[in-house]
Amino acid sequence: MKLVKLLEDLLYQAQHAPKKEELRLSDWRILVNESEAVSLGIKDNSAGGVYTPPSYLQGESGEVFLVWADGKCSQASVQLGSHDDGAYWQQELEQWRQASYEDPDAAHIPSPEPLPLVVVEDKAVQAIIAGEDQILFDQVRRWLADKPSSAKMQGSIQAAWGYRHVRTSTGLSVTYPHSQFVSWYSFDSLISGGFAKRRLSRPEEQAKLWEQTLSLYEAMQVVAPPVGPQTQVILAPAMTEDMLGQFILPNFSGDRVMEGQGAFPKEKFLENKLVFHPDFSLLIDPLQALELGSYLVTAEGVPAERTVLVRDGKLQTPFLRVKDSVRWGAKPTAIPQGMAGLYLQHKAEISWVEALQDVEDGVLILSVLGLHTQEAVSGSYSLSAPHSLRIMKGQIVGKTDVKLTGNFFADMAAPTTKTAKSELDIYPYLMITTGVQTL
Amino acid sequence: MEQKEIKALVHSVLAETRAFDGYVIVRAQSRREWSMRISNGRFERVSTGEDSGFGVQAFTKNGASGFATSDVLAEGVGQKLVEKAIQLARRNEAIGTKLNRTIWEAALVQAEEANPAQKAFGEVPLVELEEKVMTLHSRLRDAFPEGVWQTSYNQVEEVWCIGRTDGSMVSFVIPRAVVMHQGTVRDQGKAQSTLIHRSGMDASVLFEELADHRLERKALDRAEFAKAVCGAPQLPSGHYPLIIDYGLAKGLAHEAFGHAVESDHMNESVLGEAGKLRKGLRVARPGVNIIDGPLVGDWAYQPYSANGLVRQTVTIVRDGVLEAGLGDIFSAEEAGMPVTGAGRAESYGHIPLPRMSNIRLLVDRMLPLTPLDRLMDEVKAVRETLLQHDELIEGEKNLLLLGYRGGQVNPKTGDFVFQCDGIIDVADPHLPIYQPSIFSGKILSALEAIRGGLGEGCYDAIGTCGKGGQSVASSGGSHRYLLMDADQQVSLGGEHA
Repeated sequence: MKLVKLLEDLLYQAQHAPKKEELRLSDWRILVNESEAVSLGIKDNSAGGVYTPPSYLQGESGEVFLVWADGKCSQASVQLGSHDDGAYWQQELEQWRQASYEDPDAAHIPSPEPLPLVVVEDKAVQAIIAGEDQILFDQVRRWLADKPSSAKMQGSIQAAWGYRHVRTSTGLSVTYPHSQFVSWYSFDSLISGGFAKRRLSRPEEQAKLWEQTLSLYEAMQVVAPPVGPQTQVILAPAMTEDMLGQFILPNFSGDRVMEGQGAFPKEKFLENKLVFHPDFSLLIDPLQALELGSYLVTAEGVPAERTVLVRDGKLQTPFLRVKDSVRWGAKPTAIPQGMAGLYLQHKAEISWVEALQDVEDGVLILSVLGLHTQEAVSGSYSLSAPHSLRIMKGQIVGKTDVKLTGNFFADMAAPTTKTAKSELDIYPYLMITTGVQTL
Repeated sequence: MEQKEIKALVHSVLAETRAFDGYVIVRAQSRREWSMRISNGRFERVSTGEDSGFGVQAFTKNGASGFATSDVLAEGVGQKLVEKAIQLARRNEAIGTKLNRTIWEAALVQAEEANPAQKAFGEVPLVELEEKVMTLHSRLRDAFPEGVWQTSYNQVEEVWCIGRTDGSMVSFVIPRAVVMHQGTVRDQGKAQSTLIHRSGMDASVLFEELADHRLERKALDRAEFAKAVCGAPQLPSGHYPLIIDYGLAKGLAHEAFGHAVESDHMNESVLGEAGKLRKGLRVARPGVNIIDGPLVGDWAYQPYSANGLVRQTVTIVRDGVLEAGLGDIFSAEEAGMPVTGAGRAESYGHIPLPRMSNIRLLVDRMLPLTPLDRLMDEVKAVRETLLQHDELIEGEKNLLLLGYRGGQVNPKTGDFVFQCDGIIDVADPHLPIYQPSIFSGKILSALEAIRGGLGEGCYDAIGTCGKGGQSVASSGGSHRYLLMDADQQVSLGGEHA
């Protein structure tokens, strides 16, 4: 029997005809993911070696959230495993009861609402899982054939497909297929390119990404003059994503805001405090077709919708799960999937090609060491960025090693901060004026 | 699932491979976890979970591999996974993958280790654990009400069984438990957070904390320190004599040296040359030693590798000279080092990689230091000890870096960065506090700069190793503090000089 069916039967019975009265549920919800994935990796210029062999993964697991008749809650992760007998699950139910705790704000299961139409499945990915996986082997072979001869290449490619099931005691019963395709490669572990969406990458996207990665790798082979105190710092799209993930996203988590653990207290949200430059907006958009952060319904049964976190530089709302929304006194919002689904917008964004031409004295930061060690609440950073690329008179001229010191909240509020659109990425190049010196 | 059930599962899957002329490794694991988090006096989460599954890594007779894994343990899945892994291995061979037949040379191992936990998983009911964690949390809030506190407790039991075509079969249990306090304090309009933990094998860690409140005292001290850091000035960036605590020393040993000697990294490591470990290379002053190996009762304890070999304790650096690496069966020979059973994996669903377990950095030249209960008392004791031994350099800052917030290393270039919670200048009798700033540089220069240790060894600094996108428990330590000379290749960030 499928895990979702098994759980549905178990919880329905516990709600309406429990074997013991203390095991009576008043509400429940279930999330089950069934997934299959195939992957293949490259290590040190070798495809499918002993550490990166072609792999097949199969899983069927999920989580349950229960509200007992006395109002207490329980949550547990669940797996089909080998357990399709009723006795095992009855025992589990008793253990979940043991683990129950008081959390009145959480004891709320939303009523079903109409779901939006969001495209989250690419049938071509399903075909790979079904056996037409030569495309993965071919792609990896092409990378290795085309890579710079002196470069040590690492990489990986993965296709995943499966069903997501969400059920609630309030009547929501949704099952939908979704897919994922992720690939990345790096040269000498210094320059990398990647793709992650709910669809296969198109040949033209692959070609552009390859060309861009190659040109950055070539620039890295030349030593460039050092930076000066006036050098403009430009965060590459992947760096913009990383900085937002480290300093911004955690401070917009509803529970952190309400527990006083975020950079912006609740009052600042309520008074729509200006915290970024008015040209900036920040939103979660799970409705974009075939993007990794897109979904139809959250794990808690809330239909996908767009949520603006910052509009014209002003705080609007943190992202709120059901429990947070009860405490906040608002509707639940969209939820980012890691960083996926979060979008940064700037009113005066221009293309990167255009922006690059105007950079007289700059440095392009591709990656930094130790970002995850920085204090998210203060926004301050002190980072080393060996292997950055020097820009002079509108041209990338070679490699340089730098150290960055500043505050990301100040960067986001500064009138001098601009963005430039990347053709290949969701996040923009972020052009900031911050402390920079030679490493 | 218990050890016997898992062994039976591995036997049954291996039985499906009898007709195969290659080699198969079957890894099965059953993991139970109880966790809870209290935030500002209220339970935010109590959760239970179990995850069982198995992975099959098949090798063609020429040494091409394929891998298949599932968490569904229904009848027929074993056969399906074996077929899938063999099919993928054969296709891999067809694309001309790099062949590896070293697994045929692995020693036959048959062992069943008893669970080392003092309290079995589930022996202390969840309700009782909840009460204990709430008691610890409430005491902390009462003692430091101006802080925002979260207390977490996590208890895990992993039962592993690894079987191979040659008849090897090892099974063992890894129990782990940790209680953590995370505090956020604000002062002068700025916020700082602090995270401290106490780890062990099982629920005993809660009983011990309730008896001695060691973690609570540490949390209070760290919260006071974080408050002072809020309003503290930044240091000018530069090169300073440093004193790092054992958490940071673990970070340095793990990120900077441990990863650089893992056998699969030799092609991209500063401690490798032409793909081989640079054995015999002087990397530190005489008297500096780096050792890695599992310790019973430790957070990162694992007695066997995920390929079914005995995990050995390895002296990586002896008396300042690079002596050995962490080798797994697949790459040790190529990397010019012996197989030490270093392969570890996050779960049955991951391919094992050579990794550390508990890594410690020790020096022969140790100055005595009695650990003190309160943080600033101990800092004063550090200063007095250094003064007594003429270790403080007149007119120069001597900076004590407290708290390990994580770090990162590029093993190819040898660049590292680490972050601390804050800095104290112990050369100044007023012990001024500074904002944290990155501790960065070249790993070989950092090792060369180590000139001594303060206090006995402390090896309970814990973390999670993220190598290869997996999350595997890691731990280690050093003397209570390590002394490092100023070095032009090792710097503290901060404001512009």
